Amino acid sequence: MADSPEEIYKSIRKIKLIGLVLAVFTVLTVGLSYVELPTHSLNMMVGMLLATIKAALVALIFMHLNHEKALVYKILAFTVAFAVALFVLFYLSNSEGLIDEGFENSTAIIESQE
Amino acid sequence: MSAATISNDHTNDHGHDHHELSFLKKYIWSTDHKVIGIQYAVSGLLFLLFGFFLMMMMRWSIAYPGQPIPGFGFVTSIPVIGDLFQEMIGRWAPGGVVNGELYNMLGAMHGTIMVFLGIVPLGFAGFVNFVMPLQIGTIDMAFPRLNMWSYWLFFVSGVMMFASFFLGTGSVQTGWTMYSPLASTTGLAVTNVWMHGHTWWLLAMVFNISASLLGSVNVITTIINLRAKGLTWMRMPFFCWAMFIVSFLLLLAFPPLEVAALLQLMDRVFGASFFLPTGLMEGGQHLDIAGGGSPLLYQHLFWFLAHPEVYVLILPAFAILTEVIPANTRRPLWGYKAMVYAALTLGFLSFLVWAHHMYLTGMGTMMSTYFQITTVLISVPSVILLTGLMISLWGGSIRFTPQMLFASAFLPMFGIGGLTGLPLAFTFIDLALHDTYYVIGHFHYVVAPGTIFGLFAGVYHWYPKATGRIMNDFLGKLHFWPSLLGMNMIFAPMFIQGMGGFHRRWYDGGKYFEQTSSASNWFTELNSGFFSLFGMDVPNNLLGLNVLMSVGAFVLALGQVPFILNFFLSIKGGKKVENDNPWAATTLEWAAPTPPPHGNFDFEPIVVRGPYEYSVPGMDQDFFPQWESEPGKRAEPSAAPAPAIVAHH
Amino acid sequence: MDIPYTVSARPDTGLYNAKVGIWLFLASEVMLFGGLFSSYIFLRVGADYPWPVHELNVTLGFINTLVLIGSSVTVLLAWASIKLRKFGAYKVYMAITILCAMTFMVIKSFEYKAKFEHYSVTLTDGTILTGHLPNGFEIEFGDVKELSLTISGKTSAVDADPVGYVLPYLKGTAPKFKTQAGVEIDLNKESFAVLKAEVLAAAKAKATNSKELPSTTIKLVAASPMTFSVPMSKFLARPALDAKSFTFRDGTSVEGKIINDKMTLEVDGLDVRGTPDKEKSLAFNEHYLGTAWKNAFIHQRDEAIAVFKKEFDDGKGGTSRDPKKSATQQKKLFYVHIHSATPEAHTEEGGAHKTEAHAPVEEHGSAHAGHHPEVKLERKDVQFFSNFTPKLNSYYAIYFTLTGLHGLHVIAGALVLAYFLVFDGRRLREDPEHMANRVEVGGLFWHFVDLVWIFLFPLLYLL
Repeated sequence: MADSPEEIYKSIRKIKLIGLVLAVFTVLTVGLSYVELPTHSLNMMVGMLLATIKAALVALIFMHLNHEKALVYKILAFTVAFAVALFVLFYLSNSEGLIDEGFENSTAIIESQE
Repeated sequence: MSAATISNDHTNDHGHDHHELSFLKKYIWSTDHKVIGIQYAVSGLLFLLFGFFLMMMMRWSIAYPGQPIPGFGFVTSIPVIGDLFQEMIGRWAPGGVVNGELYNMLGAMHGTIMVFLGIVPLGFAGFVNFVMPLQIGTIDMAFPRLNMWSYWLFFVSGVMMFASFFLGTGSVQTGWTMYSPLASTTGLAVTNVWMHGHTWWLLAMVFNISASLLGSVNVITTIINLRAKGLTWMRMPFFCWAMFIVSFLLLLAFPPLEVAALLQLMDRVFGASFFLPTGLMEGGQHLDIAGGGSPLLYQHLFWFLAHPEVYVLILPAFAILTEVIPANTRRPLWGYKAMVYAALTLGFLSFLVWAHHMYLTGMGTMMSTYFQITTVLISVPSVILLTGLMISLWGGSIRFTPQMLFASAFLPMFGIGGLTGLPLAFTFIDLALHDTYYVIGHFHYVVAPGTIFGLFAGVYHWYPKATGRIMNDFLGKLHFWPSLLGMNMIFAPMFIQGMGGFHRRWYDGGKYFEQTSSASNWFTELNSGFFSLFGMDVPNNLLGLNVLMSVGAFVLALGQVPFILNFFLSIKGGKKVENDNPWAATTLEWAAPTPPPHGNFDFEPIVVRGPYEYSVPGMDQDFFPQWESEPGKRAEPSAAPAPAIVAHH
Repeated sequence: MDIPYTVSARPDTGLYNAKVGIWLFLASEVMLFGGLFSSYIFLRVGADYPWPVHELNVTLGFINTLVLIGSSVTVLLAWASIKLRKFGAYKVYMAITILCAMTFMVIKSFEYKAKFEHYSVTLTDGTILTGHLPNGFEIEFGDVKELSLTISGKTSAVDADPVGYVLPYLKGTAPKFKTQAGVEIDLNKESFAVLKAEVLAAAKAKATNSKELPSTTIKLVAASPMTFSVPMSKFLARPALDAKSFTFRDGTSVEGKIINDKMTLEVDGLDVRGTPDKEKSLAFNEHYLGTAWKNAFIHQRDEAIAVFKKEFDDGKGGTSRDPKKSATQQKKLFYVHIHSATPEAHTEEGGAHKTEAHAPVEEHGSAHAGHHPEVKLERKDVQFFSNFTPKLNSYYAIYFTLTGLHGLHVIAGALVLAYFLVFDGRRLREDPEHMANRVEVGGLFWHFVDLVWIFLFPLLYLL
């Protein structure tokens, strides 16, 4: 933690700079979302990449995660592991399960026969 | 000064300010961890009793469907209480006969109350708040005011759950799992959807979860940052380790349930269709919904919590036993380190097994294979924990105090519960046994004679620290034996019924299902023969077992009377403790004055040894407390090594 | 007697208590929003309709993003100011942070309000019309002579409340009612209570057990026929097209006939992406939008196709991109913004900029209605309708859940920061190090709220 006045003044400059960078990235995200890339998935990837960079800047600089104590990293490592499990396993068990193409189409047919 | 010479009257020789707190500040809006612990424990015990009372009515309905509950007329005729009872239960039970709607409410609320308002508050919040700060030698939790807020948030959730019985709609009816789409669409025929039992359940759960989250943040921070000098991680009693892991489970597993509750609330109140598939029909009509949601999503979110929740329920019992058993066998805990690592593994794996509750949803072979493997894997650390406790008994000179009786009964009971769970880990068996009484029997063996026996052991064990008096030994034994008998009478026959195909949600106990009721075996024969000795005509088939189980519930109920008497009478009438360490135990809570004043210790506790140094060879006394550098002498600050480094940086 | 490590860090962990606590709390928040984002993916992958892109107000979302980033900067500056013991600057920065939070919420509430007032109607052929309901939408049914009230025997969730729930939707004044006993009454709170008590007393006398009551129905005959005008939400199920009886959510049922269930919609958008035969969409029926709009649609579509072909010409007579796989192209082809009462006549010089029909400027006198064609939709053509709320589809459901929960976090964070600013003055003067810790921890929460928004904005507004 920066505690001496000089270091704090230094970090203030850094904070303002990062704030500016974030704003620029926001403009970039909005702008790029209107550019049509070959597929929409590519748009999504670019958008999420920019968002991730922004989030990383906030986490690393604003939340001081670039020089935090080991304990915090340990807590976050566990959390991230379980959060990933939450994402991946939901997705996997969905794509294999009942909710597949055939199932949805069959209900759609029932709907259209009404 | 040895522990034996510390007198009970400590409250005045502290250097701290001791202005008298008002009653409200001291007992209601208290920020003292011990008071909050007791608040949690007493609320938890009351809710356990209430949940048990709901179960008694269910068991009556199962054994004697269509017959009025005995004593119903009497209870409703009592002036005020009778009217309340009438409003709460009576209006759903015409003439005292439990109907299907009421049975569903009882079932849903029994599960909810026992899990979220009974065992977690008592086993986790109650014990961890009272014992843990003492055990790690600190003056209070890290965030005392937050602690108070957690309790009162929990209290609000409890009141809402209880009050939901009095709503016009009655309380929630869709089982404690609240599976959508049923739970998203049922019972919406009300003028105000906010005044529905289901809505209240969801809101109460949001409060309950928030309370748990704040509580676990507090517990983890306290354990990480407030341990006494010299109390390194591997000198920490297993109790704290287990509670530490439980807190992490609560912290990380509860939020997805909060998500599930919020999304279901959106479905019910704002007409969203998170869990409602396209084209859903009810009663022959297309529902007026957009569709596009997924019922499976609910189950994923729910079980992502609810499986770790199983370990939230069981680990506190292990935590308590690891204190009770060494103190009463006068032997060190066997395999302390192995148990710590096993518990950590258990905690980690518990996040990766949730979908074994969902084999029937057809999630595909790849996923069910994955979940079968993790499910079988997780039995390994469980077995290590149980084995550690079991071997700790070996060669000990066991004192059969009531807490030790409960602790030793826990071991085989939990064993039965765990072993009967193994077959359920495999899809092909689970397909047959899913939603039968076999499953009910399995998890009740884990949590009822398992966890609850552990909690009773804890109450007997720490009661002297909280009150300065020991609970009556004879009443304790009078509590133990009928409880053991009753528990087994209720839950053992469930395995047999379950394998016979009895479904868990029959409110008439399967009376109208001829096929199952005609099946008989040696056990049913024994059963009807047993009851014929008393002149009771019990059919020689699986249905006849319902009578046995309901009698068991009655025995269990009677068995709790000595406990309730003991609990209240001992506050004033119990035997006074002779010193601060009545069980001659080694952990730090027994170094504090009895009962511990605000601020806990009258000296700075320094830890110089591991937590379970019993019967050290060559010593006169058979225990060597953590805070003593040599027998009878407290460790001086200089004796403490530098604080252990947990974070290398 | 103080709890250790509230101000200074514990040597072995290097952290003070509150910092451990906030990171643990943020860990659980990660799981909370993780669950929600996971649900978002789940719903988006399983959506059976084109997922809305750029459908929300991007400008407002963009401003809100900048506001949140700005507040993240100022909360850090507030913390730095305490460290430098510049208490005045601290207060200013903190106040700016809280103002940012309020700005964010105000902007958000405008966005919400616009969505609540905007409707989307799905026709039976999958065509979607969006617009406003100038007169609201109520089902009108008349010739009602009798009210059947269910007084529950306490085992049913529904207990008739005709005075509070049914009479407000009566057109005109309430007539006198005749009870089954032949007494003529004015139906109001008092008379209904009397009636209910009588019925309950009678039921009590009949019942074998004094505590058990069967459900009873009271019939009230009106002196003159009544007409009701009721919003759909007051019914349990949507009444069938030829319904003769209607049951309110409170259990009161009436018999009568539908007089009017047509929905007047000021159309501002037409979406035929879900319509199998787009040119024959129900919306182009003569009594709805008619052929003029159909031609406008065809014109817009053909123009868009031409533009697309030009832009992605692969030099072999085809296109380098599959228009079916381009969400934007699909929207350009099949989604018509409607800003004028009648479509502009399309002449040959119409270019790409004409893909949207523009409102004639001179017609401002006739206010709002002049800008949009009004259609009267018959209920037999309507499959589903809703305003832009969670009910509409899974996109709006997750949008409101995510942003609503995020909004609650903004409010909670702002309250905490406001508490520091307003009530913690003494700590600031006497124990600035402790105060700095508090602001740092509050700030960590605030950055997390910002971080969540950084993902929410592109996922909900842009992509």
